[in-house]
Amino acid sequence: MRSTYGKSLPDMNLSDLSGKLIVIEGTDGAGRTTQIDLLKPWLEELGHAVLDTGMARSSLAGDGIRRAKEGNNLGPVTQSLFYATDFVDRLENEIAPALRAGFIVLTDRYIYSLMARAIVRGMDPVWIRSIFAIALKPDAVFYLRVGIDQLVPRVIFSRGFDYWESGMDLYPGRDMYDSFCNYQHALLTEFDHFSQEFSFETIDASAQPKVVFAQLKASILQLLDSDSRETYLSKLRADSSEVSVHGIAGNSAPALREATRAELNLVLHPVAVHSPNGNGHGVPPRE
Amino acid sequence: MDISSGVRIGPFEVFAPTHAPVSSIRRNGNHHFPGRLFIVEGIDGSGKSTQLSLLHKWLEAKGYGVVFSEWNSSPLVKDTTKLGKKKKMLTPATFSLIHSTDFADRTERSIVPLLKAGAVVLCDRYIYTAFARDVARGIDRTWVRGLYKFAVPPAVAFYFRVPLETAIARLTGARDGFKFYEAGMDLHLSDDSEESFRIFQGRILDEYEKMVPEFGLTVIDATLPVEAQQAQVRHIVRMHLENAKELRMRP
Repeated sequence: MRSTYGKSLPDMNLSDLSGKLIVIEGTDGAGRTTQIDLLKPWLEELGHAVLDTGMARSSLAGDGIRRAKEGNNLGPVTQSLFYATDFVDRLENEIAPALRAGFIVLTDRYIYSLMARAIVRGMDPVWIRSIFAIALKPDAVFYLRVGIDQLVPRVIFSRGFDYWESGMDLYPGRDMYDSFCNYQHALLTEFDHFSQEFSFETIDASAQPKVVFAQLKASILQLLDSDSRETYLSKLRADSSEVSVHGIAGNSAPALREATRAELNLVLHPVAVHSPNGNGHGVPPRE
Repeated sequence: MDISSGVRIGPFEVFAPTHAPVSSIRRNGNHHFPGRLFIVEGIDGSGKSTQLSLLHKWLEAKGYGVVFSEWNSSPLVKDTTKLGKKKKMLTPATFSLIHSTDFADRTERSIVPLLKAGAVVLCDRYIYTAFARDVARGIDRTWVRGLYKFAVPPAVAFYFRVPLETAIARLTGARDGFKFYEAGMDLHLSDDSEESFRIFQGRILDEYEKMVPEFGLTVIDATLPVEAQQAQVRHIVRMHLENAKELRMRP
């Protein structure tokens, strides 16, 4: 039976939430969205119904949060509780019903991001944990970890610095770069604490997206039924054999075969990517 | 409250969230701000708003800088609450959380800065309204008390005690029909809105009664004449203003 972090919501029956709840966590720019966009069609191809959800997407509070963030007077307590409202609306109306219907729920961030953001804004860690004690425990949390040195170029060369992602509400008057580094560093510190407390599986997200994707697939396959595993394994075996790879000829075929073999190896020996102590394989040391 | 034991939430001191919520909120009025916070509580039809507005006029006439803050009035949050109520999207949990968000915004944006500045702040409904309503909706008692740990403890929390029938008689004369959430229609207690209102307000009344000793609410008999109640209220408020910083408005 599924459990929560200590408190139950009224009318939430925990006994029939049979789907899988998979969390992709990580700071801004860690590549969470890219991975979810890859994982969803892959899981659907294996025959699973997938719901993807993420912060501020609730029909109740999503617009309200966006409007509130347009101004500069959203206080830290209010912000924390507004996001909690959004989270619970999705928990009750999207996540739980999907789990009840046997879906795989892929969530872009979960309570951990919300707690980390609240704590770096000065909220009491005990207080914010007590609020999110109503959250369902997920089946797996994949923490895509990137150090600040890699994060900065990703952000600069994609969308530029954002007021909230740079924690400008916390460090007003500084320039966006300094503020961004301070804020993201504080978030990383919280995430690193959480990774042990909540048994995250840490994945080095500074690697190529396809490498991260292969690791995620290998770990997620372990959560799925044996049919899904077998289906995917036989596909990988076929692709990595000497026969042509889906009609791809020429020079790219050997490289592709090699990548497939590497992935096959990951799926067959998933221990290699696991991080029982939360200090993941190949993860750069903390700043 | 002993500020030194407090954990800082945001830029201002609140009572220590690591303490049991009950023990910390019980220390009414010890919050070390130069201003004073007075709040009124009671079920619909208890006459609390009338009493607060009379208190407001009296304090203003005496020259105090008075600010009034109403439940559910944050400019950042109220549209979301309105949407949730109109479309009946709110569950007991999101009903609870969106009201705490509204309250947090008023606390951060107005109540705390005003108390720091030395104002007399008057609130029509406070955290006890949330505790009563949310628990009546099935929310965990401890969880909702924890949710509001950032609240400033009031100098005095007046509870206007009135029998359910008296309150209902006052209300049914004054307006037509009850709103969906106000009558607790989301709980499917009865298909009839007046009957649902009666059951739901009865539960809320039970919760208020439990909170009188828990939080040391100051009980006013709301069946007494308006003038008699107001005399009691003013007498109690006067005692709490003695050592207050007097942010007086120029006449």
